Amino acid sequence: AQQSATLIADQVQVAPGEVLIASGHVEMLHDGIRVKATSVRYDGQTGDLQIIGPLTIVSEDGTILTAQAADLSSDFKNGVLRSARLVLDERLQMAAAEIHRVDGRYTQLYKTVASTCEVCASNPVPLWRIRATRIIHDEEERQLYFENARFELGGVPIIWLPRLRLPDPTLERAAGFLSPEIRSTDALGFGIKLPYFIPIGDHKDLTLTPYVSTDNSRTLEARYRQAFASGDIEINAAASSDDIRPGDLRTYLFAEGYFNIQRDYTLTFDIETVSDTGYLLDYDYSDKDRLDSEIAITRTKRDEHAYAGVVAYRSLRSSESNETAPTVVADLVWDKRFRPRLLGGNGGIRLAAHSHYRRSNFAYDGTDDDSIVDGRDITRYEAQAFWRRDWIMAGGLVLDLEGRIDLDYSRIDQDADYDTPVSRATPQAAVTLSYPLSKTTRRANHVITPIAQLVWAEDTGTDLPNDESTLIELDEGNLFSFSRYASNDQIERGLRANLGVQWTRFGNDGSETGLTLGRIIRSEDLGQFAGYPGLEGESSDWLAALRYEAPGNFSLINRALFDDSFELSMNELRLDWEAERLDIGASYIWMEASPLENLDTDVSELTLDSAWQFKDNWTASLDMRYDFVADRAASAELGLAYANECIEIDVSVSRRFTSSTSVEPTTDFGLSVSLVGFGGGADGNSRKRSHCAQAGG
Amino acid sequence: QGAQVAFGGLKHDSSLPVEIAADQLKIDQNTGLATFTGNVLIGQGTLRLGAGSVVVEYTTQGGDVQNMRASGGVTFSNGAEAAEAQSAVYAPGSGQMVLSGEVVLTQGNNALAGERLVINLSDGTGTMEGRVRTIFQTGNN
Amino acid sequence: CGFTPVHAPGGAGEAVRGQFLVAPPRDREQFSFSNRVEDKIGRNEAAPLALAYRIATRADSVAITADQEIQRYNLEGFVEYEVIDRASEEVLSSGTVRNFTSYSATGTTVATLAAERDAYGRLMVILADQLVTRLYASAGSFGVERAEGEGA
Repeated sequence: AQQSATLIADQVQVAPGEVLIASGHVEMLHDGIRVKATSVRYDGQTGDLQIIGPLTIVSEDGTILTAQAADLSSDFKNGVLRSARLVLDERLQMAAAEIHRVDGRYTQLYKTVASTCEVCASNPVPLWRIRATRIIHDEEERQLYFENARFELGGVPIIWLPRLRLPDPTLERAAGFLSPEIRSTDALGFGIKLPYFIPIGDHKDLTLTPYVSTDNSRTLEARYRQAFASGDIEINAAASSDDIRPGDLRTYLFAEGYFNIQRDYTLTFDIETVSDTGYLLDYDYSDKDRLDSEIAITRTKRDEHAYAGVVAYRSLRSSESNETAPTVVADLVWDKRFRPRLLGGNGGIRLAAHSHYRRSNFAYDGTDDDSIVDGRDITRYEAQAFWRRDWIMAGGLVLDLEGRIDLDYSRIDQDADYDTPVSRATPQAAVTLSYPLSKTTRRANHVITPIAQLVWAEDTGTDLPNDESTLIELDEGNLFSFSRYASNDQIERGLRANLGVQWTRFGNDGSETGLTLGRIIRSEDLGQFAGYPGLEGESSDWLAALRYEAPGNFSLINRALFDDSFELSMNELRLDWEAERLDIGASYIWMEASPLENLDTDVSELTLDSAWQFKDNWTASLDMRYDFVADRAASAELGLAYANECIEIDVSVSRRFTSSTSVEPTTDFGLSVSLVGFGGGADGNSRKRSHCAQAGG
Repeated sequence: QGAQVAFGGLKHDSSLPVEIAADQLKIDQNTGLATFTGNVLIGQGTLRLGAGSVVVEYTTQGGDVQNMRASGGVTFSNGAEAAEAQSAVYAPGSGQMVLSGEVVLTQGNNALAGERLVINLSDGTGTMEGRVRTIFQTGNN
Repeated sequence: CGFTPVHAPGGAGEAVRGQFLVAPPRDREQFSFSNRVEDKIGRNEAAPLALAYRIATRADSVAITADQEIQRYNLEGFVEYEVIDRASEEVLSSGTVRNFTSYSATGTTVATLAAERDAYGRLMVILADQLVTRLYASAGSFGVERAEGEGA
């Protein structure tokens, strides 16, 4: 079809033979391509353009071609440019003695050098470049084909490849090699990972990563992802043969999926299997010590929540046997809330069924490490109804009444100590008085709320074996509640007062300080929490939670449980700070030994995740776990990363000081180098560009 | 310059007789200037020059046309080429015609627009100046 | 000592209680969170203000034994909220409340699962209470005084 090109110049000579000679700031525009040049000779009959440079050709997709001289067809689709430079997506620069444009699709560069690094006058040698006798850029496929390519790092030739294909910077889902990673570990020796990405259509992709290392370990890792209209799945797996378990094929598979099925129900599944307990840690695939595969259907909307799910466990802990630990846990929950018109306030019904199963059928505690009956299986059906209402009294006092009745019917199998079935009916009631007060001063706004709650349940009642509620916490989330037990299989009994005060200061400077102080005082110690340091006795430890947040993402939270003589039974501190160049996440936990919770010794451990961008392109990171009780680091990882517009180098050394039957202490060294600018990967230019020295400029 | 085949259009023999037609003619005895006004049309061979008004200056002795100053919107055509401008000056002796002021030259299916167009009728070349905008057809070969 | 009851007439309580329609929950955490907020400030289908929220949680293992058994998890929670004028859909006030709870993983599998689910529930109670307190403190930016100031 006839297409027109416009040309603008200071002067155009009209010469015989339909020749136009334009000179002086010549600009041509055609079909989204803009050419700037010093002078252009256009032959109307042949349609050829002879362009005298320096000329630049900019196309709509950001491709920039510069050259000293060029002969092009009038639609710029074909032609030859001399001593030219092609820039793709403002990132990948390719200089060439000659560039041929073919059919507006292919660009062939001869005797060329390609790099995405900033080339400065001060140091003309870019960090890395690829020399090639020829590069073909296919605009439609958005691929770059190198012939006789030599990869140079800092001017030093590293690799020579007869053929090399790389995706151009604009191609998002290009099949091809991703950046390699070099890894050396005590267990597996020195090895290299070379991931290869395969897009399958628009909604599926597969990444295969062979990993070979000197201690003759050979591994193939695979990640498969698929997006559906109503959900997506991701599967990560690997298979290895190595010297750690010679003759064995070691494998793991983690598959997870999420689907919206009709009427707002969602189906989620998460399958986790592994061939042997040490595999995940040896290859750093996961630090999970228990595999929990779950399939669940849930629906949540206003005033209703339903969940039906099964969790299958496989413990990798040496202190736990999958024969005597509950390995299948099934739950059915239906929560319904309503607002009775007559009574006012709001109420709710909760119907639930719970069941957990142990493979062993032995009705006593056998020879495993714990002191729990080996084969006990429990199934429990619950029905709970509650109603609560609050009134604003004179003077702003808030009175809250709440009543609740729990009915449950349980079957306890393979446990000689308990006969079965057991059914219970447990009414409970609570009355709460809270008195929120506020004050505004010059520098802050304060809200303080004293709260007193009286809770009653019968002192005695049949008790179920305690499988689910052995781990007990006390914090601001359950200080004012019917029970500190984690599940409804245990009921907190007797008359007790939950007392506390919550104070928050909202500073005009944007800071927020919060303090909660509270305690549980029982009319009589029924011994339900004997052995739990923070909760035992007639009155619990003091709960004190301090929170300080400052603008600029600074957050410090400390929660402690201590008795009247300030003996700590638990203290947890969390510090999170994201400054402009510094990012710290630190957490410290101190817990008194609590045999009932399998805590034989005190726990005192610091966890630190920190990263510091000490220079524009340099980031150092330190992740560490220090065990004060064992008085040595549990694990430490030091990382150093250099990233600019064309390269990202990550070096890390990590040490794990584990010692157990299946896991050895190990030191890992990792190096990964990725060329930025190929494929639509990390957007190179959003990263800090290593700018040239400003001398002269 | 090789064969000026297709583009010979601007090439012109400016020694041919010049006819001028206009609504009115005013001759000024002492300056020797003739002023044609109203639909002035100058013809010379295949060359046509139309204008709102043209002032013609004759050579002192032989009565030949020294030069012609056309203004009030000028149209120039010579075979396949045509041009428009606000004003033009034509000196047949030198074979040079200068159009100026929003000049538009169409040449086959190419079109040039600029501030000033100097045409050398004897060798058929022309030079457009000012911020020249050219539209040319591509892909016709 | 300068403190006045929040729920006294003309106090911040009136700008909050019964003035909000909390956004409907979409998952278990949002269910616990929105119920707790509504327990404290009530639900009013025709309320002038809407409370929109987005909840993010993250579990970090914070105590690991020498033989690589995880003893304790910290569960961090962040709630980004917006107070929206339902008529003009203008965002009157917004922010983030954050806190954390913890749960032990030293018990049996089913005990750890129950402890984890209970920890999520407690975290939502803590975040909801924190947000309601902040609503009382920032009532000036969306409360009755604002309406009167502009209405007149």
